[in-house]
Amino acid sequence: MKNNRKWPAVYLALIFIILYAPIFYLIFYSFNSGGTMYQFEGFTLDWYRELFADTRLLIIVLNTVIIALLSAAISTIIGVAGALAIAYARKRRVKNTLLSLNNVLIVSPDVIIGASFLILFTMIGLKLGFVSVLLAHIAFSVPIVVLMVLPKIEEMNTSMIYAAMDLGASRLDVLTKVILPYITPGIFAGFFMALTYSLDDFAVTFFVTGNGFTTLSVEIYSLARRGVSLNINALSALLFLFTIILVTGYYFITKRNEKPNGMGVRQ
Amino acid sequence: MKKLIQALAAVLIVSFALLYIVSGLNSSQGYTSGNTLTIFNWGDYIDADLVDKFEQETGIKVIYETFDSNEAMMTKIEQGGTAYDIAVPSEYAIEKMKEENLLLPVDHSKIPNLKYIDPRFMDLPFDPENEFSIPYFWGTVGILYNTDILGDKKITSWNDLWDPELKNQILLIDGAREVMGMGLNSLHYSLNDKNKDHLIEAKEKLDRLTPNIKAIVGDEIRMLMENDEAGIGVVWSGTAQELMWEKDNLEYVVPEEGSNLWFDNMVIPKTAQNPEAAHQFMNFILDPENAAQNTEYVGYSTPNKEALKYMDEETISDERFYPDEEMTARLEVYENLGKRMLAYYNELFLEFKMHKK
Repeated sequence: MKNNRKWPAVYLALIFIILYAPIFYLIFYSFNSGGTMYQFEGFTLDWYRELFADTRLLIIVLNTVIIALLSAAISTIIGVAGALAIAYARKRRVKNTLLSLNNVLIVSPDVIIGASFLILFTMIGLKLGFVSVLLAHIAFSVPIVVLMVLPKIEEMNTSMIYAAMDLGASRLDVLTKVILPYITPGIFAGFFMALTYSLDDFAVTFFVTGNGFTTLSVEIYSLARRGVSLNINALSALLFLFTIILVTGYYFITKRNEKPNGMGVRQ
Repeated sequence: MKKLIQALAAVLIVSFALLYIVSGLNSSQGYTSGNTLTIFNWGDYIDADLVDKFEQETGIKVIYETFDSNEAMMTKIEQGGTAYDIAVPSEYAIEKMKEENLLLPVDHSKIPNLKYIDPRFMDLPFDPENEFSIPYFWGTVGILYNTDILGDKKITSWNDLWDPELKNQILLIDGAREVMGMGLNSLHYSLNDKNKDHLIEAKEKLDRLTPNIKAIVGDEIRMLMENDEAGIGVVWSGTAQELMWEKDNLEYVVPEEGSNLWFDNMVIPKTAQNPEAAHQFMNFILDPENAAQNTEYVGYSTPNKEALKYMDEETISDERFYPDEEMTARLEVYENLGKRMLAYYNELFLEFKMHKK
């Protein structure tokens, strides 16, 4: 019995090591005074200093975060509405069609989405920049949110809605006091999924950036020809730390709020 | 519900706070003022101090954007949306952009510093009389080898690569022109050869190289050579130089049969909003002292003859990166082969890639 429990743990540990090793390797060399990724010469914080002195890079990082937060928030709102519409579509055929259309957007290659957005935006005369990137990110995040929220809605017992209506709840009450609280975990999952998608997207973003507005992924990709400098390592280390803090914070918040709520109805 | 609204409010507050910070940073950098110059360049391909210096000298604010491939850059310029005033494509891309009418002619009278450019690098087949482009950096394709792995073995020519002792040691760039060019050059044919018999001969010769080839890769070649994974890499001189700065056990050689000469040139896209500033910037970069500073930073070879005077003696006397006239005479610039011929090159290259060891 004991043996049975050991091996999964070893396996899991191994997987985590493989997943995290490159990140720690990267972080390790961000402290290298040697300037390269293969010979550790000595400890230095120069790369971090250089990073903070580089205003252009700082602006790019902040742009990236703003776009990620805003696009995730907006696409979550749209996505939840969309998921509700799909879930409560009357006709089965309509529902399936909508769902398939949603899935097509998820599987279609980024490059194609990016190029089509570029053509669309330039055709309608929208200046490339903050707005175009935001719109593109919202567009590719919505289907993801829909997919994250939909199972949560479907798993909900419809009799809860009928019960609420029998007790005199209006449609709005049903939505805000029954459905939304119940699917909250799905909404948060969708939000965070959209956030990560937006943070690391290169292909779509490349096509729609312009007029001095750019994001981190585009900037780092363009360094490939000349090799990535170690201040990017430093930046990655900071972002990694930031994400860790965020995730831990989120964990403690959800833990604190965790109350026995079998029915999922609150307030 | 309350939780959701709280979360949404938090996200919005954070984003707007960040937006406020960014707009503050932007205006402190002057990016919002009217007189701007938008440059579209490869990542990390200019000394940022020079951009600051240009801004101070002229009062023009520079918006600097980067791209990672000629093709991606062309797509964005073609579609418009952003008005780039300067772009820095490679030679074959310039040819294509010319064909598609994406460029504005360069007014040489506004660039007096053009006289400092070595005449060897002017008036080349991809842009006769430099009507549309001004040289920025140049280099070669050659052999980078690891002296720790190869020992005393001397590499001087393409034909050395066929040595059976080099089994499983060679890394090639995944590019049809580069690899086919190497095959053609090793047979003393031109890189731009359009004779099908010659091409097939070159492809068959390349097939015999397969036992020595470890991999055909892209940008990873840099990392693989850095980690001593292979004895030989066929690379661009820019890549070679950077690696050699970092590692003492690497050597670079331009093969004696000849090789490719490549260029990255500055151009003014048709959509430019501020061609005046673009000319000013070109002139600024061609200033010998600025060119020298930029070259020291980027590390590729400068076409600026006068700039060499301001540079390290050691760098410019390095024949591997500043080959003499005799050597450059044997180097060739890629010519536009035409669609069908290029497709044939690609086809042969694909066949070569599929050839079994």
